[in-house]
Amino acid sequence: MHPHLETLLEIQDLKAQRRDLADAVEREVQETVFNLSVDEALAELDTKITEMEETLPPLVLNRYRRVSARHPRVVVPVIRGTCYGCFTSVPTALASDAERNAEVRSCQNCGRFLYLID
Amino acid sequence: MELKEFFTQDAIQLDLKGESKDEILKELIGLLAVDEKSQGILFKMLKRRENLGSTGIGKGIAIPHCRSLVVNRLRVAFGRKRGGVDFKAIDDQPVHNFFLIVAPPLEVSNQYLPVLGKIAQFAKEADVAARLEQLDDPKAFLALLDEKGV
Repeated sequence: MHPHLETLLEIQDLKAQRRDLADAVEREVQETVFNLSVDEALAELDTKITEMEETLPPLVLNRYRRVSARHPRVVVPVIRGTCYGCFTSVPTALASDAERNAEVRSCQNCGRFLYLID
Repeated sequence: MELKEFFTQDAIQLDLKGESKDEILKELIGLLAVDEKSQGILFKMLKRRENLGSTGIGKGIAIPHCRSLVVNRLRVAFGRKRGGVDFKAIDDQPVHNFFLIVAPPLEVSNQYLPVLGKIAQFAKEADVAARLEQLDDPKAFLALLDEKGV
């Protein structure tokens, strides 16, 4: 997997974790079941997300910022040849790439970064 | 929704070999049968969650969990480690029983939190930790879930 795609994927996963923690129901579960200090965890996640964003090269970072201004999810899976951001078909060559996720690629329709998944 | 619907027998391991928190997490991820790269990403995400605070909830039980794009549906696994390992649990006791939950960032059916809640509810029942220690095979684990009505 391309290292920048891996970073984008991790940022996305951290943002998902952050979104969950900020949710009132999940907050209650995390505080009562796991004894987690949610506000501290949110601050920690924000710091980590910013640190990881800063490791992206300018070209990828600019695209990432442009896409994230429009869409909450910047990286989306491609499942059975379909972009799961805008639900349009992606070119066959991309969807069946032997070196899966070896390059940072975007959906030609919505601009989101693509992650090929089985 | 019943928990047993989410567990397959090959995602239940009653004899984990790992001797540390990291080894146990890797072994649990291995039960999900995802590719090596995805395993690495899941490990990082689970570690990040553990770094925020241990998912060891006491009574020898931990529920490591995360969301990640590398899975396309909710996945769960159960592992038991005889003798337990130090998991920095909230009661500072070794953890013997591990419930792993991994879900994609967005799920249409939104099962992640209900499954997490049900496992927590199951784990907190007074006799569950002892019953988990006595399990002989994966079928007995599924039968216990059934018996507890979760």
